[in-house]
Amino acid sequence: MSIPPDDTDITTAGTSSAATRLLGTLAVVGVAWLVAFGLLFSPADRDQRESVRIMYVHVPSAWLAYLAFIVTAGASALYLFRAAHSLVWDRLAGASAEVGVVFMGITLLTGMLWGRLSWGVFWTWDARLTTTAFLFVTYVGYLAVRRLGGTHQQRARRSAAVALLGVLEIPLVHFSVRLWRNLHQESTVARPDGDVKMDGLMLFSLVVGLVAFTLLYVWLVIHRQRALVLEDAAEDHGLEQALSDRRAEAALPGGR
Amino acid sequence: MDLTPRTAPEAAAPSTRRRWVPLLVLGLVVAAGGVLVARFLTSAVDYYCNVDEIGERAGCEKGRSLRVQGTVEDGTIERTDGTTSFVISFNDEELPVRYEGEPGGIFEECIPVVVHGRIEDDGVLRGTRVEVKHSEEYVDENAERLDDAVDRSGAEQCSPPA
Amino acid sequence: MEDAGFIIGSYVVTFGVIGAYAVAMLTRARRLARRVADEDKPWT
Repeated sequence: MSIPPDDTDITTAGTSSAATRLLGTLAVVGVAWLVAFGLLFSPADRDQRESVRIMYVHVPSAWLAYLAFIVTAGASALYLFRAAHSLVWDRLAGASAEVGVVFMGITLLTGMLWGRLSWGVFWTWDARLTTTAFLFVTYVGYLAVRRLGGTHQQRARRSAAVALLGVLEIPLVHFSVRLWRNLHQESTVARPDGDVKMDGLMLFSLVVGLVAFTLLYVWLVIHRQRALVLEDAAEDHGLEQALSDRRAEAALPGGR
Repeated sequence: MDLTPRTAPEAAAPSTRRRWVPLLVLGLVVAAGGVLVARFLTSAVDYYCNVDEIGERAGCEKGRSLRVQGTVEDGTIERTDGTTSFVISFNDEELPVRYEGEPGGIFEECIPVVVHGRIEDDGVLRGTRVEVKHSEEYVDENAERLDDAVDRSGAEQCSPPA
Repeated sequence: MEDAGFIIGSYVVTFGVIGAYAVAMLTRARRLARRVADEDKPWT
């Protein structure tokens, strides 16, 4: 990373590129489809009636949050076990975890609304809900660990270790509905018997939700990852500035 | 060259101030994690009984705080003076329930519920909380399904929970 | 639609949170971009 002298080109383009603009447009289209299918075209459920519509945002956000934390763990492993210790992987891990925390928060909020409508309660201490809350809290902690300071490499090593431990909770959350008796229903789609228990148009709406959230995830992670490049560069620039200031001071007679 | 940290306000102040925030968040995270684990160990796993396990399975005794799962029997819901009474069953074992208030959610006959409460000496479960459990099956409300129509219309027995 | 408040509310919460996060992130990135040379922005 280098100091931008006054004559260097600095554009204020931010973190956009042609690819992200295309992705962003597709994501907006996906969200529009999701709203149309989730709220209008899909049928009401026999038992849950209209409240089933919350599923089309609740389930995709949960799946993408899982995926985000798995990407974080994968990128952290690549950072740790590749000789180069490239910060590219560290920033991908950080970006993915942050987006994952946002999605997991949405999962918890929409789950509470859905729970109030179908179960009659916002929250109950059962295994699926409690393990999900624990996963959310773990990754809030991961994001805090990233901000504890030190050099970029120290940050990367520390947070990679947390990421590799945190990802172990995901199977616990996913299988919690089988391991313990639960109020939360068992899996409808990712079932061991491979038999998806959902009617056609509902399943299609869920797939639309999955596509929309995947596009949003990729778009957000690319931007966040680029924003992290900028943060690191700005910090390096500030440090080099301070060092050169001190070199100048030290050169003066009587300088500290 | 002097490399000791500078205390100059414009250099040091923002970074030390910012470092407190993640530490505070980490403290809260550890505390919240502890609370979650404690709640999980005390209430999320234990005392979760099916109706037919009352008095059979360890932890499912009368007189203690339980969560009981069963299906609301057809034609048993009675509402009087703000109290809702109904019978839940599981594997042909029945249990009468009294709940002060109106269960929310999609509460109705033939739907599985989880009732929190205590079974008194008269054998009635005094519910403090009723949660409606829905299955992982999603079915179009207007779908014309013969097997379903037979199960649901006029039959005295609810179809067994999935 | 019955329970429209909760159902539409869940969609509003979902896309409101994502939108707010995206706007905050992009605004901050744009501010930072002014302090960083273009050679450090390989995507431009």
